[in-house]
Amino acid sequence: MKKVSMSANKPIGFLIAAVCIGTATILGVYVARQESAYPSTDSGEIDAELVHVASTVGGRLIDLPVQVNQAVKKGDLLYRLDPHPYELAVHQAEANLALASAEVENQQRLVAVKTANAEIAQNQTHRAQTNRDLAARTVTRLAPLASKSYIPWQEYDQARVLLNNASVSLAESQKQASAAQIAIGDLKSSVAAQQAAQAALEQARYALQQTVVVAPTDGYVTSLHVKAGEILAPTQVLFTLIANTAWFANANIREIALHAIQPGACATVYSMLNKDKPLRGHVESIGWGVLSADSAGIGRSLPLVPRQMDWVHVAQRFPVRIKLDPAPPELLRMGATATVEINHGAACR
Amino acid sequence: MSRFRTLMPLLPGLLCLAGCTTHHAPSFALMGAYFPSWMLCGSVGILIAIGARFLFIALGLDALLSLRLFTYVSLGVSAALLVWLIWFGA
Repeated sequence: MKKVSMSANKPIGFLIAAVCIGTATILGVYVARQESAYPSTDSGEIDAELVHVASTVGGRLIDLPVQVNQAVKKGDLLYRLDPHPYELAVHQAEANLALASAEVENQQRLVAVKTANAEIAQNQTHRAQTNRDLAARTVTRLAPLASKSYIPWQEYDQARVLLNNASVSLAESQKQASAAQIAIGDLKSSVAAQQAAQAALEQARYALQQTVVVAPTDGYVTSLHVKAGEILAPTQVLFTLIANTAWFANANIREIALHAIQPGACATVYSMLNKDKPLRGHVESIGWGVLSADSAGIGRSLPLVPRQMDWVHVAQRFPVRIKLDPAPPELLRMGATATVEINHGAACR
Repeated sequence: MSRFRTLMPLLPGLLCLAGCTTHHAPSFALMGAYFPSWMLCGSVGILIAIGARFLFIALGLDALLSLRLFTYVSLGVSAALLVWLIWFGA
């Protein structure tokens, strides 16, 4: 091998070295600026929204027409719980309502009777008033006759006693009339009981409806491990439904590059399920917070500050949520690795 | 001029990479793991620097050079960055 002198001192050599170094520097600066203007990450994830499917009521699972990984449409039957206990509850509530309605009718009759009694008492008052007036007029007429001894004093005394009796009777019948008026009462308590029974019936019917669970959205059934016969508690999650209405990519972008990202910006997403098919998406939002190791700690305790002396600080990353345009289903699986380029890439040209 | 001629053999390789420009994720899979594309570009740069060294020695161009370490390193860096730009450029 030819010996190569490392200390050669030729002007053409320096020129070539200067050109090469200059080219590399310019390219380096250019690429760094490109990288800053068009943030990208290869640690993104395909994401979707979930529904944890459960019923608000419990019972035995009697019908489970779906299987794991099956696609379902909104409104499809997912599963049914044994409706029998809830039907019985509806029957009971219906009977209670009928009882309360009968009680209302009963109360109406009672009120009618008491109203009639009050009228009778009122008429009695009129009669007592008339009798008392007559007795008063009799006393007034007899008084001058008795003073001039045209009639026996005994007769005048009797008239005065009759007047007194009639006054007492009038007062009594007035009190009776007002008592009878008060005693009429109303239907409020029985109507309220009827309304309570009605509400209980509607509640029982609602619980009966909840024994049938339908898909709240288009999606895929996942994490289904049981068969019909299982007993479920109220609100117990039977499986998870991955919503197929909207798909997202979650890209963690360094804080230093976030300035170049605006909501609505175009994004090229490659799902690693097929690296050759670019998916188009738009930045929907940027996460407002992440849990930091330095701020993590027990709430009421003292701050946890590790002793350290570090000069290099790794940039924090924030999740950028990208809503994907409709894409072939074979590219979309929740949790799949994704490469994300923002404002850049095949889908944004 | 001579430098341009010496770079000529590299062009077909770069043009091949240019074919990958549009429809490919900037990440390559190897043994079940994804490697970032800059690693590939860096490897290409290193290979080109080594290749250029052998080529220049064979062509006798090497004798003209001074500051060889810097020259070859910057050649490799430029090649890596060019590959990057051709592959993922805006």
